[in-house]
Amino acid sequence: MTRPGYAQLQDVILDPDFPELDLALRRGRHVDRDDVAWYALLGDAQDHLEAFYRRYGCELIHKPDGYYYLLPTGDKLSRRQLGAGDMLVGQALALLYLHPSTIERGGLHTMEELVAQLAAVMGSDALIHAFHTKKRRYDERVAQKAVRSRVGEAVRRLAALGFVELVEPEQLRLRPALLRFAEPVRGLSEPAEALAQLVARGEIALEEDGAATGDDGAGEPDDDDDAAPEPEPDDDGGNDDGGAARDDGDDGDDP
Amino acid sequence: MSAPRTTPERVLAVIAERKLSLELGTLDLCFLVALHVRGDAAGLTAFNEAQLEDVFAQASAAVAPDADQLRRRATHAIQRLRDQRLLSRVDGQGVVRTGEFALSRLGTSIVQFFLEEDVLTRETLGLLTHSLQVAIAGVLDAARAAQTPAAWQDAVVGPLRVTIAELVAGIERRQRGLDAQQEEFQSEIRRLLEADWFGAIDRCQDLLESTSATLRELNEVLLRDTSVLLALLQDIEDAAVAAGEPDGEAAAHRVMDQVDRIAAWGSARQRAWSEYFQYVHRYLRDVVRLDPTRALMQRLRDQLAGVGRRFSLAHAAAQPIRLLRTVAPLPERPPVVRPRAPREREPEADAGEDPQAVLDGKVQRALGGGATALSAVTGEVTGELPGPERFVEAGRVAEAVARLARASADLERPWVAVGDDLVIEDWALAPGAAAPPREGAA
Repeated sequence: MTRPGYAQLQDVILDPDFPELDLALRRGRHVDRDDVAWYALLGDAQDHLEAFYRRYGCELIHKPDGYYYLLPTGDKLSRRQLGAGDMLVGQALALLYLHPSTIERGGLHTMEELVAQLAAVMGSDALIHAFHTKKRRYDERVAQKAVRSRVGEAVRRLAALGFVELVEPEQLRLRPALLRFAEPVRGLSEPAEALAQLVARGEIALEEDGAATGDDGAGEPDDDDDAAPEPEPDDDGGNDDGGAARDDGDDGDDP
Repeated sequence: MSAPRTTPERVLAVIAERKLSLELGTLDLCFLVALHVRGDAAGLTAFNEAQLEDVFAQASAAVAPDADQLRRRATHAIQRLRDQRLLSRVDGQGVVRTGEFALSRLGTSIVQFFLEEDVLTRETLGLLTHSLQVAIAGVLDAARAAQTPAAWQDAVVGPLRVTIAELVAGIERRQRGLDAQQEEFQSEIRRLLEADWFGAIDRCQDLLESTSATLRELNEVLLRDTSVLLALLQDIEDAAVAAGEPDGEAAAHRVMDQVDRIAAWGSARQRAWSEYFQYVHRYLRDVVRLDPTRALMQRLRDQLAGVGRRFSLAHAAAQPIRLLRTVAPLPERPPVVRPRAPREREPEADAGEDPQAVLDGKVQRALGGGATALSAVTGEVTGELPGPERFVEAGRVAEAVARLARASADLERPWVAVGDDLVIEDWALAPGAAAPPREGAA
């Protein structure tokens, strides 16, 4: 795997692309073939870098779909879980990535198509409950606007992690790392078994039973000014956000 | 002098002013195409009304087989096409007899677009570039032989503007045809995969390979031939410059721009197609081959719909490195104190003028000048002051006059206007009765 130019780890570290790549990987960036220079560097120096990052309690993962990422398995480097909203958006993007329509446009899709995909699979009510409020009565127009806004925020977070690329404000280029969202259902084994294996490897974390999308408590505190105009006494009054990521408790700092 | 070029603003203004529009349904398009095909097959240059109705019936049978009232609908369709200048009456007989109709240039262009006859292939491109090369070489010979401005116009500028430009436009038109065909290929690949997921891989790859080969060949031809064409055009431009023919130079330059555009098209399309080619191959390898039964999509759909345990992906999330600010010692600053200054100032001698003495001096001068009434003195002393100040100054003048002169007045003193905005009760003054001014007066 290691090309002659990288005979030693020192050679890799001295590569001009290494500092940026290293920082990106530590911040959760997924690197694929479209990141030409980084992907080539990772491919050429994979052996050195796997050993290098293992010392920080991380695994440098290379998937056959053509992307790399860093997975902290110890407590030396911070680790986070994607929020429930980000997970829903990621899975919808993965569905779009697999759909033949993606071929026609070279992997480009619009935000509108993404929201349509979410609504088609989950249903509009479930979508609003997941991204906006769990109230039974709500202002439909405000709720739809809020959903679009939350989906947009999730897409921006996923773009920072290298799952998609924001080409224009309304256009997304889907990237191979999206297939991570399909990992539990990719193999021939039962999804439950696949999930258990992924949990054991530290790739994913299972949500608590009954922890629905919106009330995971992980979201940022939200104002409720755009919720339904009629207050409901039995409601918790809070807005639900599954968007933000959850910190697994940080620990280490950069060396 | 080169011909004035039409600006986009002008063209758009004309279109907007004339409210040009086109509205064509599928039936109208089928009708147009059917007319074109029938004309080609039967060698017809024009159609009579019976033939038009017959062709319409054929088009209607394809689009709406169950529709009735064919003649009436044919009449409306013919009228729609005529209104939009897609079909022209060519016999010029008016109401004398039934007319003969032919497709207009616009109608023919629309039909040709949909029939995709003008797609660039290696053969058509080679033929066109060869014809272009021969034509430009002829123009170059004519340019070298031309001695007069008229000869330049006839043998160089005219052919460059019309013949050569048409040939280049022909290549560009076929390039657009190939662009449309590529878009169609992309849709075709999608349709193939939707219809037969795993079984479509080979056909998709064939489509990709054939288009890639076509583009590669076209680009090779373009790279080879455009350099020859540009060299010939450069020679024409040089000859025009040497002969002092700006029209010839401009015409050659314009054709060179067109040829450059053609070459750039080839490179750009090959680059874009290369990216698309890689993307589709990756998709076929990573998605289609690894999921031959297309079960993954359904499972993922179920997962998104909430079937099974919810989970979340883990990722690294190192905080950005804290870059500490460089510590710089703060400069010594003097303590904040209030400025010390004497609270009370020593009195100082002021050599300023005494206003009363100045006024007295003015009054004295007025009296000395022979003024015999208070109004005259007031007018002279306050004449240059603004209105509000005049009123105040008039009182001081009266006091000074009373002090410096001997005034007399009747019981009923007359009111006399002093200027436009002041009226005073007048006194008579005894002449030569002025007292000397006080010390310090001007």
